[in-house]
Amino acid sequence: MIARRDRPGTFFLTLAAAIVLTLLYLPPVLDVFRPYWVALVLIYWCLESQNLVTLGKVFIIGLLLDLLGGSLLGLHALSLVILVYLVTRFRARLRFFPPWQQALSVFALLLNDRIILLWIISLRGDPLPSLVFWLPPIVGTLLWPWLFLLLDWVRAAQRRRAHT
Amino acid sequence: MVKGSTGAGTKFFGPTAQTARLMLYGLLAVVLMAMDQRGHYGAGIRSQAAYLAEPVYHIVEWPVRAMRNVFGQVQSRRSLRQENTALKEQLLRQQGSLQRLDTLLEENRRLRALIEGAEGQAFEYQFAELVRVDLDPFSHKVMVDRGSSDGVEAGQAVIDGAGVMGQVEDVHLHFSTIRLISDPNHALPVQINRTGLRTIAFGSGVTGILKLPTVPRQADIREGDLVVTSGLGDRFPGGYPVATVTAIDRQEGQTFVLVEATPLAALDRGREVLLIDALAPKVDEPSLPDQQDAGDDNKVSDGEQSGQEAARPESADADGPEGET
Repeated sequence: MIARRDRPGTFFLTLAAAIVLTLLYLPPVLDVFRPYWVALVLIYWCLESQNLVTLGKVFIIGLLLDLLGGSLLGLHALSLVILVYLVTRFRARLRFFPPWQQALSVFALLLNDRIILLWIISLRGDPLPSLVFWLPPIVGTLLWPWLFLLLDWVRAAQRRRAHT
Repeated sequence: MVKGSTGAGTKFFGPTAQTARLMLYGLLAVVLMAMDQRGHYGAGIRSQAAYLAEPVYHIVEWPVRAMRNVFGQVQSRRSLRQENTALKEQLLRQQGSLQRLDTLLEENRRLRALIEGAEGQAFEYQFAELVRVDLDPFSHKVMVDRGSSDGVEAGQAVIDGAGVMGQVEDVHLHFSTIRLISDPNHALPVQINRTGLRTIAFGSGVTGILKLPTVPRQADIREGDLVVTSGLGDRFPGGYPVATVTAIDRQEGQTFVLVEATPLAALDRGREVLLIDALAPKVDEPSLPDQQDAGDDNKVSDGEQSGQEAARPESADADGPEGET
């Protein structure tokens, strides 16, 4: 019998890894490809173990990301709260999509997130970003199936350890 | 937040409650963003969070540092020797060009005394290295490895070997973040070196472009002109190179010309920077004769005035947008 609840330890561990990956130095050429790691990890947990991911937690995670990354305070908080809200709303459907369809919906979610970011950028009066701005959602979508498998594996390993 | 984030009961998971929560958090985020943009509480919250951020930055930087150490070990003797020769050559060349500096400084001091101008400040430089942590690409910030434990203070000017980079914004214990001059919210009081024309250089949001939107149409400005800091606004010391003018667009019927300049500093690819200690004691501030009998209570503003007197109209502009606008 599969345990109903996941322990929050694994959730926070994977999230911490995502934050480190977000801040990790990459050469400028690769930097533009960096996917929105925290969003991907949150989508996974939201789909698989919903009661771990509440909007309150997500908001605080977003604020943390803003503080660490030096972005406008509340920017990632807003973006992640909206993202998680959408995932919880369509969770029942998303969970039973075949992988490619799920990846497509992840793409839609990430794209929507970029549009929100674009809106904030234009509100601030910053110049509109170049085309590389749209790369991260694509990279995120391509990574999604593998990330899903990886996180599934981590979660299963964690559970097995908890049972023995 | 109102209903608590642990509400596992089904009643709190209804779509209406969830939507209400989305609204609440969304609104909160927007309010926070507006506050941060206006520069009200953002800095305070950030400095409070420094203790939390510090260990994370250490963790993030660790793999890069480890990798650099490994590569440093295997770097061949030959390439090191080559680099050494190149550096020696460079040092000699720069020493050569510095030889006349002492006499020039002395001459400058004498001439300033002659016209009773404010004497130049003495500056101290602090070496710092960029930390390999990638901040948000839209934040126009970089991080250096000196913090409050090294005496860094918010507002210090930062330069690299070629020109002005930005100013210190948040100071953590061992790190500090620097806002680059390319930030659209950053304004830097500058002057054209050739003519002495004073203006303001705004960031454009693109690393390679600064904008000088307040140059009048009839002004004498050419492509290739060197733009240096003017020292107004009391934050950036004067005379440091900032950019070269690359494009001038004189449109019919406009009061101002559109001037674009390319920063000299390697904003996106530099590695070593210098923090200018602008807080070094000013070399005796000469007070103007008619201000000497003024009361002690407005001594501070007097000191500022004597330095800025020549540029009243602009200094008001220059003070304002230098922080967040």
